[in-house]
Amino acid sequence: VAKTSLTSPPWPEVKLPDPVEEAKYHAEVVRKVNELISAGRYGRLFAVVHFASKQWKITSEDLIMMDNVLEAECGDRIRMEKVLLVGADDFTLVGRPLLGKELVRVEATVIEKTESWPKVNVRFWRRHNFQRKKIIANPQTVLRINTIEIYPCLS
Amino acid sequence: MVVLSAARWVRSRLSDRFWRVQEVLKYARHFRGRKNRCYRLAVRSVRRAFVRSTKARREKKRFLRALWITRIEAASLEHGLKYPAFISNLVKSQVELNRKVLADLAIYEPKTFKSLAALAQRRRQEGFLAALGDGKEPEGIFSRIVHHH
Repeated sequence: VAKTSLTSPPWPEVKLPDPVEEAKYHAEVVRKVNELISAGRYGRLFAVVHFASKQWKITSEDLIMMDNVLEAECGDRIRMEKVLLVGADDFTLVGRPLLGKELVRVEATVIEKTESWPKVNVRFWRRHNFQRKKIIANPQTVLRINTIEIYPCLS
Repeated sequence: MVVLSAARWVRSRLSDRFWRVQEVLKYARHFRGRKNRCYRLAVRSVRRAFVRSTKARREKKRFLRALWITRIEAASLEHGLKYPAFISNLVKSQVELNRKVLADLAIYEPKTFKSLAALAQRRRQEGFLAALGDGKEPEGIFSRIVHHH
């Protein structure tokens, strides 16, 4: 039968690879990444961490400033548990949405707890004799990320 | 005799006028023209500057989000995906990265961004097959939902 413009659907045909071969390929990749991690053959690790209702992309020896108060004294070590992504040069581990706690460990130290610079809030409505001035200095906390470690327990 | 209020001919006069004026002028020192020297002009300029900075603090969030979206769109187009497809497929694969972090990854970690784009593309194709093939459950591997307890 001759091929017309309506023989095949107008969208491109999508074919997924064979599931059995895919499973073998996935197992192979997981094994290789496990080997790399246990051999320690990765350079600098970076991680995406959900902390203080914000997501941060951090590495070791990083400084982070949060716009709120943390209930920890200066010099306390903190472990950040909600890790979304960990990556090195050759591999990345993407969490759905979070990675396991036995897989990644992110440690940080509280360095300083200060206030921000005095921000001036002024509301002014012309010709209405309306002017309000307020000076806000929010508390801030500075953390230093000490280490990011990964353990070879992928499956 | 007890006098509770001062007599009427005693007036109170300002002695710290200089410092009250300097409080306003210190915020105007980097302005252009006479408004950095003359108090009468500086008061108006400083007030407008403060009002604009308060309003700008709220608009900065909108502006930055639009900037991140533009950057993510440019990066995903380099990998052959459009922005709505990229974001929706990432969300469907339960990857909850926000636009700020995605823009940073696109700039500083190109390999990671490429892998995320490949993940979104694969999830997109599985979505097409699920919509067209009409199977009983999603056959795709990347469409499986991860349940946490």
